[in-house]
Amino acid sequence: MKKKVVITGADMITPAGIDLASSWDSMLKGESCVRQISRFSTADLETTIAAEVPDTFNDLVSQYCRRRAAKQMTFVSKMACVAAIRAVQSSGVDFAQCDRRRAAVILGIVNTGYNSLELGQDNDRIVKAMSNAPSAWISLEYGLEGPNFPIAAACASSAYAMSFAYEMIASGQADIVITGGADSTICPEEIRGFNQILALSTRNSEPQKACRPFTIGRDGFVMGEGAGILVFESEEHARKRGALIWAEMAGYGLTSEAYNIVSPKPDGAGMALTMEKALRHAQIKIEDVSYINAHGTSTPLNDKYETEAIKKVFGHYALHLPVSSTKSMIGHTIGAAGAIEGLTAVMSIRNSILTPTINYDEADPDLDLDYVPNIARSHDVNIAMSNSFGFGGHNATLIFKKYN
Amino acid sequence: MEKVTDAMRSEIREIVYDFFAQECERDRNEITDLTNVIDDLDGDSLLFIELLQLIKKKYGLTVSMQSVGKYMLQNRAETVGKVIDLMIYVMENQQKLA
Repeated sequence: MKKKVVITGADMITPAGIDLASSWDSMLKGESCVRQISRFSTADLETTIAAEVPDTFNDLVSQYCRRRAAKQMTFVSKMACVAAIRAVQSSGVDFAQCDRRRAAVILGIVNTGYNSLELGQDNDRIVKAMSNAPSAWISLEYGLEGPNFPIAAACASSAYAMSFAYEMIASGQADIVITGGADSTICPEEIRGFNQILALSTRNSEPQKACRPFTIGRDGFVMGEGAGILVFESEEHARKRGALIWAEMAGYGLTSEAYNIVSPKPDGAGMALTMEKALRHAQIKIEDVSYINAHGTSTPLNDKYETEAIKKVFGHYALHLPVSSTKSMIGHTIGAAGAIEGLTAVMSIRNSILTPTINYDEADPDLDLDYVPNIARSHDVNIAMSNSFGFGGHNATLIFKKYN
Repeated sequence: MEKVTDAMRSEIREIVYDFFAQECERDRNEITDLTNVIDDLDGDSLLFIELLQLIKKKYGLTVSMQSVGKYMLQNRAETVGKVIDLMIYVMENQQKLA
């Protein structure tokens, strides 16, 4: 029999704030974090804007990571470690009291961000660049002897990681899994690369209005960065130690588009299949879903197809179902997006409030869902769905449920 | 074989102690020749490489890292005192380890 999987702790580092509380507050205020890129010259780039994690994060690292370890980490690994340590603190788990052989770390990592901004500073290339570094550092921090590994599935990486974390616990292979993801792709070569495939917004003159999912004026996504880490635990293990349970992870759906290396299947067929699969897996009826945290990238195709997919899956109920995009405020955090947005959905469950889709000023007449425009909304959320769709056709839908 | 003077030995000792104190965030007074780098200082194997590079640069040594690595497989340097001995050995046997 499958074990129930619950969330007992979490943290996030985002362009909106260097911890969960400040990020959440900023999102509820509907603040855009998109600015001119500050870390390097953008003179020869088509896109000169992004949503960067505040520099104050760097002051935080020494509080959580030993100097020696920090020296061997990239910015991505540092974000993953700091968020993981705070997530564990928030869960109240004491690994000295746990069977560490039954504790795992599974993170969504596209790469560790060992890019031109980090190169040439040291001779720790291998340790810094290996994609398993963030999960390995977390395992080392707590002496966890269950498996630790990264999963790469582009923009769905951390949603995939959370799905496998769920499976480890549900199947009884682990009691506790530190999961989520971290990413930073704000560097000249990545911006240039995404510009080449016409994925990024070039609304450089109005950075704070650049990310505008589901509107007629959307012209591409805005690069973000950050980390989202959650502590998953079996209900049995969490209750035994008297942990506060934030929410339940009720199920997931994973699919491959098998269509095109970057473009989603027309009409959102693959996205719809993913959501249907997740609903079946979680044994949830469509009318029980209270909210969808959309992938909502602000690209012409994603927003169109995601809307069509939601309408296909939910039928008439789709028009009564609030759908919002966290990316409108913090940009696209790529490998971390599934975790940050999944955690945002969990926070909506806990606080009965939905984060808005900002910059929703001129609707696309073809996209007619309730996108929670511009202002956060009080709303009782019993079940929340979080979508992540990645280049390569990696689709993931996660379902979270209020814990009773 | 290169001649390592007493003054150089003292200098190397200072470098090694300072290096471990700084990298492992320990008070220098906590460290002795018997301190185990991995167990007591929570260090890692890459420390040895960094220290060797530091010494190579400071004294203009031409030893091959691979040769030193092979030597270390047979002659483990687990304590700070052994690491100092290793560094002195490397300086005295540059040609053999080139």
